[in-house]
Amino acid sequence: MVEEGSRKGLMKKLIPRVLKAALWGSFTFVYVYFLPRLMFPIELLPLEYSRLFYLFVGIAVFFTVMTKLFSETIFEHAFSIARALIMTIYFIVVLNGGIINLTMPMKETTVNLVVDLKAMLVILILVNLLGIAKSVFQATRFLEEKVETSQPFMSQ
Amino acid sequence: MKPAIRALGIATIVIWIFLIAFSVTALFSVMKLGIGFGEAQFFPSSEGLVLSLPFSINNSGYYDISELNITTRITDSNGTLLTLSKTFVPLVSVGSKVRAAHNISIELGEVMERVELVFNDSFFVFDTLVGLNFARIVPVQISMNMTVPWGAPFYNLSVGEIAVFPFNTTHVRVAVPLSFENHSLFDITGTMQLEVYNDVEEMVTSGETSLDTRSQQPHNEQVDMYPSLADATKLTETGKVRFIFQNPMFTMERWMPYG
Repeated sequence: MVEEGSRKGLMKKLIPRVLKAALWGSFTFVYVYFLPRLMFPIELLPLEYSRLFYLFVGIAVFFTVMTKLFSETIFEHAFSIARALIMTIYFIVVLNGGIINLTMPMKETTVNLVVDLKAMLVILILVNLLGIAKSVFQATRFLEEKVETSQPFMSQ
Repeated sequence: MKPAIRALGIATIVIWIFLIAFSVTALFSVMKLGIGFGEAQFFPSSEGLVLSLPFSINNSGYYDISELNITTRITDSNGTLLTLSKTFVPLVSVGSKVRAAHNISIELGEVMERVELVFNDSFFVFDTLVGLNFARIVPVQISMNMTVPWGAPFYNLSVGEIAVFPFNTTHVRVAVPLSFENHSLFDITGTMQLEVYNDVEEMVTSGETSLDTRSQQPHNEQVDMYPSLADATKLTETGKVRFIFQNPMFTMERWMPYG
């Protein structure tokens, strides 16, 4: 009886989380996959970059699902920090350290395009660092609240 | 801690909005850029030729294009620099249209100093570098290289069999057949002086002819010279002919054997 009750309680907790995670995952997928495709045809990108775009979609959706699935636990913040770190590494790799170099064969010649996106990369790293700082603060606050709720007499 | 988290959250959202807005508008700006190229034209100049490549940029985007710099470097097949041309457009502001031309000066005198280019077909390597600053924070560089064939103006310059004919009691007529093909892009107009030397390198006779050979056309001509009977006796079976071509842009000289 007790086991059945705890299973029911677990399911009650799990189902909304799974639904929430699925909903956020779908929303993120639409936001990072369909919206950019509507604005810019991904097919025009070189194969290497279109693959990296799909990787970006994968990372964004995976971490959104994981953070929502583990929401209100310490893992939510751990996944947020991991997402920010992976995104930072991803942007550094994709933007080739801020210098994008594309070679396009055109008729009888080869056109080499170099775009210096160092300023953009710095902003992207900065925004991810801010995200890490926010997640660290949130994790600290979460642990603080946990300690407070587990030791009610100490806080009085 | 709550205000700090809120402040960080707001800062993150603001930066993300700025980044997404900039990326989207930058992409649209690039797509809305109207870049046009006019027909390339050759103009004669005091020192040779000017290749003019007209272009226009219609900036209907949201960001300025600044410090547009076009550099063209032409080298011969050995990598020796022949000419370096630069065009600078300081600013193509939003909503404006700029028309300009990238002029590449080719000094024929300098080209003709390289004997192999006067008599043999070859190729030139055009290295073009376009640099610009998009939205003042994104430097862009486009480079390309092309191989352009070079046609020699005096391709296959040769002397035929020299013939001697009686002219009058004191002089003879020496006929020197001259032939070449003008493979170049320009017409050859000028004076060609011929000096005939015998096998002991003694000048026998000389003559002159005016050339007006169209581009991509062969030239076959017999140049007549009238040496005295005494000079004509110095003519040997074999020897050399010295060609001196002169026009306002360049001078060319070459020795060719005959016989």
